[in-house]
Amino acid sequence: MEYVSPEGLRLDGRRPMEMRQIRGEIGVVDKADGSAVFEMGNTKVIAAVYGPREVPNRSQQMNDRALVRCEYTMANFSTGDRMRKPKGDRRSTEISLVIRQTMEACIMTHLMPRTQIDIFVQVLQADGGKSRCLIAAIGTRSACINAATLALSDAGIPMRDLVTSCSAGYLNSTPLLDLNYVEDSAGGADVTLGIMPKLDKVTLLQMDAKLPLDIFENVMQLAIEGCKAVATYIRQVLLENTKQLEYRRGT
Amino acid sequence: MEHRLANTSHLTLNQKKFIETALLADLRTDGRRPFDYRNLTIKFGKEEGSAEVQLGQTHVMAIITAQLVQPYRDRPNDGTLSIFTEFSPMADPSFEPGRPGESAVELGRVIDRGLRESRAVDTESLCVLSGKLVWAIRVDLHILDNGGNLIDAANIAALAALLTFWRPEISLGGQDSQEVTVHPPEEREPLHLIIHHLPIAVTFAFFNYESSVVIDPTHEEEAFMGGRMTATINANGDVCAIQKAGGEGVLQSVIMQCLRIASVKAGSMTEKIKKAVRFSLYETVFEYLSCSLSLEKDISALHNSGIIK
Amino acid sequence: MEEKPSGSPASFIDKPVIPGDVVLDLSDMTNQTIKLGGGLRQDFDSIVAMKAGTLRFTKPNKYWVETSQKRYVPCVGDSVLGIVADSRADNFLVDIKGPTLAYLPVLAFEGGTRRNIPKFEVGTLLYVRVVKANPGMNPELSCTDASGKAAEYGVLKDGYNFDCSTGLSRMLLRSPRCPVLEELGKKISFEIAVGLNGRVWVNAGSPSLIIVVSNAIMNSESLTGVQQRIMVDKLIQNLKLSS
Repeated sequence: MEYVSPEGLRLDGRRPMEMRQIRGEIGVVDKADGSAVFEMGNTKVIAAVYGPREVPNRSQQMNDRALVRCEYTMANFSTGDRMRKPKGDRRSTEISLVIRQTMEACIMTHLMPRTQIDIFVQVLQADGGKSRCLIAAIGTRSACINAATLALSDAGIPMRDLVTSCSAGYLNSTPLLDLNYVEDSAGGADVTLGIMPKLDKVTLLQMDAKLPLDIFENVMQLAIEGCKAVATYIRQVLLENTKQLEYRRGT
Repeated sequence: MEHRLANTSHLTLNQKKFIETALLADLRTDGRRPFDYRNLTIKFGKEEGSAEVQLGQTHVMAIITAQLVQPYRDRPNDGTLSIFTEFSPMADPSFEPGRPGESAVELGRVIDRGLRESRAVDTESLCVLSGKLVWAIRVDLHILDNGGNLIDAANIAALAALLTFWRPEISLGGQDSQEVTVHPPEEREPLHLIIHHLPIAVTFAFFNYESSVVIDPTHEEEAFMGGRMTATINANGDVCAIQKAGGEGVLQSVIMQCLRIASVKAGSMTEKIKKAVRFSLYETVFEYLSCSLSLEKDISALHNSGIIK
Repeated sequence: MEEKPSGSPASFIDKPVIPGDVVLDLSDMTNQTIKLGGGLRQDFDSIVAMKAGTLRFTKPNKYWVETSQKRYVPCVGDSVLGIVADSRADNFLVDIKGPTLAYLPVLAFEGGTRRNIPKFEVGTLLYVRVVKANPGMNPELSCTDASGKAAEYGVLKDGYNFDCSTGLSRMLLRSPRCPVLEELGKKISFEIAVGLNGRVWVNAGSPSLIIVVSNAIMNSESLTGVQQRIMVDKLIQNLKLSS
């Protein structure tokens, strides 16, 4: 199947190095200490952060730093067909682990000992067909991490840097930025990257399918560019928000 | 709270500081250099398709079983490969019985990605009747002793077991070839799985804010590492899977360097696995021969001529 | 050991015993008081071994089974290496590889008062003495010797620690000095603290020396005296070659 036409257009009309439409909004869950919605193309994810708050299970609290917990779920309605098991299956467990460890690397946990920070991430809409909703889950990692970053900033939790994430792939001998569902399930490589843009360090890197080493380097470089573009957008959203707050306070 | 504290393994600040200081001088506590693997032994069980791997103190066992099932609707011509992990509480005081914890799930998913999505195991040859019946291969990984770096050891065990697994031959009969007969091994030779390449998992641990990188961390080193990355690479230099799930941030250049090192290690590891598999096949051939010859007379003849001891 | 225990204790002393072995027959030994140490129990008229090990005897009348295990059975008067697991108002909770955590009172230091309580982080390594060890209760420790002085007890800084079996600890502490320590001491200058609970701490001038000493000690568990010397020589030669 042809994923990139000879003129260089992908199936949804984008160029190989073009990202999907992204949109982020802060403060969407009233009860949460911090929350955000993040959309990448047809994928829409909501993240809510509670914390730092007391650890309910005192045996689990850590004396020198905060405990970070993360729960990832896909809403029952997110893929058109109502799903039977939106959480607790192995893919969800792994994605929860991945998101938690990625965010934990950038949260300054030692400033908040004996507390707990909860990150809840729910996929409201997954770019994907009715069947194979679990494959659609994989493509939502980037949106989840971007949403979590916004939500943590909204909650005022001290962080070393933002964490932004983007994916890239390789089909028809072309590196492609920001895969959508059809390209993701084509069986080619899928590289998801999460970086801390100011520090220029990679914290999340997951890849599957086969790629020779040098081609992988190009694809990774492309994903880093995508992450930096997302970072610019997220920074803009946060600055807008801060200005809004100042304006409302009347200063 | 007290009982939870009492049951974990306790590590000291001295150990943490020493491991980090020694790494600055490229030394590790067991005398290895940063990019050395521990001693590896691969043993095969009596049953086909079972392998036991000992990597240093880590001990993992893999068992392969196959069953005939209906294929997935969207892949009617492909067999399936699924990985199950069992983190037995005997392997480590921190493993709890019951549902697999996060690290068990992660291990299963990393090995699953390396084997399945890189098309290492050929699934089309597992199709018996298109759309109706295919072979489902199940890999069960049992962790027997957690000495650190479970992913690499479990991956080697899975590969070794898959390479020595035989599945029964099938023949189609009856009108329009819809009748399926499974031949027991005595009737027809069983078949090996078709494996295109061997994806080898190489795990790196980062210390000292990524200025020190080591391969094959021990349990002690894992407790103090800042971040971890597993690269699954085959001997041809194709990257099959990468898993760096958060943890300390590293520079892109460090990642590429690690991948190059992993590529070299994958080559030597592939050789070791293939050699071990070959030896086990020689052993089974010998056993087969000694059974099919007429017992004592011929065996003593072989003894006398010095072929077997 | 198939012979019927004739009641003369000499038949089992310094020999290996297995749980269930009858090592003494009391009916032949009236009017004698016998002290039973670890690993032995009384079954009416006979003394039976509970653990697998070697039966030992010291004059005038103490018998016990010497075993080598990974877990430690707390015993009063032992010097052990503990790791701080938590701190409470009155005690530090210290792990000494026993069945339960041990308590180290915050005042159990030389010149300890409410005003100069030490602050130990989780993971601090301490050289301590076991003061109370009753079965079923958490053992109690102290950082002073019997007369209240600090002696060598207290925090161990830097260096590297590792776990071993209780048998290896006893071998390292016996005098005359065991071969591995003697050989190492001839060529390398290092500091060592051995806990009877199977924990050892080593410190030396450079990381490579510490690694050589630790690995030599860990490997020496199952080697005879001569093998130990050979092993140490080889390790030191490797060290000289690589430096």
